[in-house]
Amino acid sequence: MNITQQLINGLVLASGYACVAIGWTVLLGAARLVNFAHGQLYMLGAFVAWAVMDKAGLPYWGSIPVAVVAVGLLGAAMQRLMGRLMLEHNLTSLMIVTLGFGYVVQGGAARIFGGEPHSIRSPLARGSIRMGELWLSGQDLLVFAVTAVLFALVWFVLERTRVGATVRAVAEDPKLAQLFGIDASLVYLGVFVFEAATVAFAATVVAPHSPILTSMGFDEVILTFVVVVLGGVGSVLGTLVASLGLGLFTAFFGALVSPAYTTAAAFAVVLAVLVLRPAGLAAK
Amino acid sequence: MSQSARAAGRFASLAVLLALVYVMPRWLGGSALVYSTFVTVAIFSVMAYGTDMVLSYLGEVSLGHTIFWAGGGYVAALLATRSGANGWATAAAAVAVALALAVVLGLTTLRTREFVFSLVTYAAAVVAMEITFNWAALGGSDGIIGIPKLMLPLPGRALSGSSSAELWPVALALLVLTVAFIHRFRRSRLGLAALMVQMHPDLAAALGLDPRLVRLRVFVISAPVSALAGWLYAYQRAYVGPDMFESYFLVLMLTAAVLAGRRVLLGPVIGTALILLQQNYLSLGGDGDRIVLGLVLAGILIFWPQGLVGLWQLAARRRRAA
Repeated sequence: MNITQQLINGLVLASGYACVAIGWTVLLGAARLVNFAHGQLYMLGAFVAWAVMDKAGLPYWGSIPVAVVAVGLLGAAMQRLMGRLMLEHNLTSLMIVTLGFGYVVQGGAARIFGGEPHSIRSPLARGSIRMGELWLSGQDLLVFAVTAVLFALVWFVLERTRVGATVRAVAEDPKLAQLFGIDASLVYLGVFVFEAATVAFAATVVAPHSPILTSMGFDEVILTFVVVVLGGVGSVLGTLVASLGLGLFTAFFGALVSPAYTTAAAFAVVLAVLVLRPAGLAAK
Repeated sequence: MSQSARAAGRFASLAVLLALVYVMPRWLGGSALVYSTFVTVAIFSVMAYGTDMVLSYLGEVSLGHTIFWAGGGYVAALLATRSGANGWATAAAAVAVALALAVVLGLTTLRTREFVFSLVTYAAAVVAMEITFNWAALGGSDGIIGIPKLMLPLPGRALSGSSSAELWPVALALLVLTVAFIHRFRRSRLGLAALMVQMHPDLAAALGLDPRLVRLRVFVISAPVSALAGWLYAYQRAYVGPDMFESYFLVLMLTAAVLAGRRVLLGPVIGTALILLQQNYLSLGGDGDRIVLGLVLAGILIFWPQGLVGLWQLAARRRRAA
C-alpha cells in the first residue's frame, strides 16, 4: 500500500462527502430543518445532467446549470408544499414528508429514466495526473476545488453578511424574527432551494466517479449524514473536519482491512462518538 | 347492565367480529391471491405497529425498525433450516434477538433526539444490511432459501402450514395478539408516561419521570413486534434476503402508521389494508406504486395531519353543524 496515494484518495473522498453535505449542513444549522429526500435529489441532479448530455447533446459544462436549476425548482415546489410544517417547526412530520417526497422522486425518476445504470461522461474523468507512482484524475481535482470554493462562500455569507445574519435570526426564533420584519417563510424558501441546488451541483461533480442508478438514494449519501452528525449539527467548519476525518478513515480502512465493511466501520466510529459526545465533535 | 355483563357483551361481540374476519377470505372466493393479501396485510400491520409505537407514543421517527423486521426473519430462517427448530422456538429466538438488538441501539441513541435519532437508526439499518449482504453465514446477497413449513405444536393438535391459506389463522392470531398488546400498552403506566414525556416534558419531569428511560423502554418493547412480523414473513415466502432492508418496508411502516391517524388503535391495520389493496388490485407497476405510496405519505401529513380518522371526524362535525 502506498500511503501517499491513500492520503490522496482520502482527500478526494473527503471533498466529495463535504460537497454533498454542505446543503444539509446549512439547512440544519441555519434553518434547523431537515430534508430526507436529500439522497433522491442527489440522484435526480445526476440523472438530469446525464439526460441533458445524452439526449440533448449538451456538453458536460452545459449540463451542470440545467441540473442545478431543475432540482432547485423542485426544491422550491417541495418547500411551498411544506410551508406550514416549517413555520410550525414540526420536525417529526417534516422528516416523514420529505421521506415521502424522496420516494416519489425515486419512483418518478425510474419511470422517466428507466432502471438501467448510466454514467456521466465528464471530460475531466479521463484525464489523469500522474506524479511518479501517484495518481489523480482531473475530476478529483475539480471536486476538490469546487468544495473549497463552496465552503469558503458559505462560511463568508453566513458569518459576514446581512443575509447570513437574517438566516441565523430565523433559525434562532422564527416568530421573533418576524416581529422584526423578516419574512421567515421567504428565508425558509431560500435555504431549502439552496440545499436542493447545491446537492444537484454536488451530484454533477461527484457522480461521474461511479455509475448512477435511479434506486440510489438515501444509501448513496448516508455517509454524508454521518458527516453532518459527527461535525456537530449545522456547523460548517465541523462538517469540513468530519468529512476529512471520514474520508481518510474510509480510504485507509478500505485499503488495509476490507472495502465491503467500510460503511459499517465508519458507522461504528459515529456510534462511539455519539455515546461520548452526543452533540457531535464540534459541540462546546 | 352490570359491569361484568357489559364486559361479557363486549367480549362476545369481539369474538363474533373476529370470526367474521377469519372467514372473510373464504367468502371473497378463497383464491390464493385473496389469502395472500389477507396474510400480508396482517404481517405488514404487525410490522408497522413496531414503528407506530415509537412514532405515536414517543413522537420519534425510527428508521431502524427494518433491522428488527429483517432480524426476526433471519433468526427464523437460520434456526428452521439449520437446526429444524419448530415455530415456537424460532419465535422465541426472534423476540430475544430483537430485544438484544434494540437494547444496543436504544442505549447508543439514548441521548439523541429528533433527526439525529432518525439518522442514527437509519445508518444502523444500512450497516445491518451491509453486514447481511456480505456475510456468508447469513447467506450473503442470496439470502436463505428453503425455509421449511411453519410447525406450531399445540396441546392436542399442531398448527402448520406454508401456503398463505394455511398461514392465515397464525397471521390473524399474531395480529390480534399485537393489537391486544398495543391496547394494554396504551393503558399501561409506561404508555401514559411516554405520552406525557412527548406532550408535556415539563410535567413529566415534575412527576419524576426519566424521559430517557421511558424512551428506551418503549423503543425496546417495540422491537419484538416488528420482529415477529418478520418471523412469519420468512415462513410465508420460504425465503429471507437482504431485500427485507429495502426502504419500501420503511415507507410502508410510516405510511401505515399515519394514514388512518396517529394514536388510533387500529390505525396501522387500516393503513396497511388500504395500501395493499391498491398495490395488489389497482397496481400501477412498481414505480407507479412507489409514487402513490410517497404521495399518500407526504399528502396526509401536509393536508390532513390527523389522518383519515381526523378527516372522518371533521366531516361528521360539518354534518352535525349543517
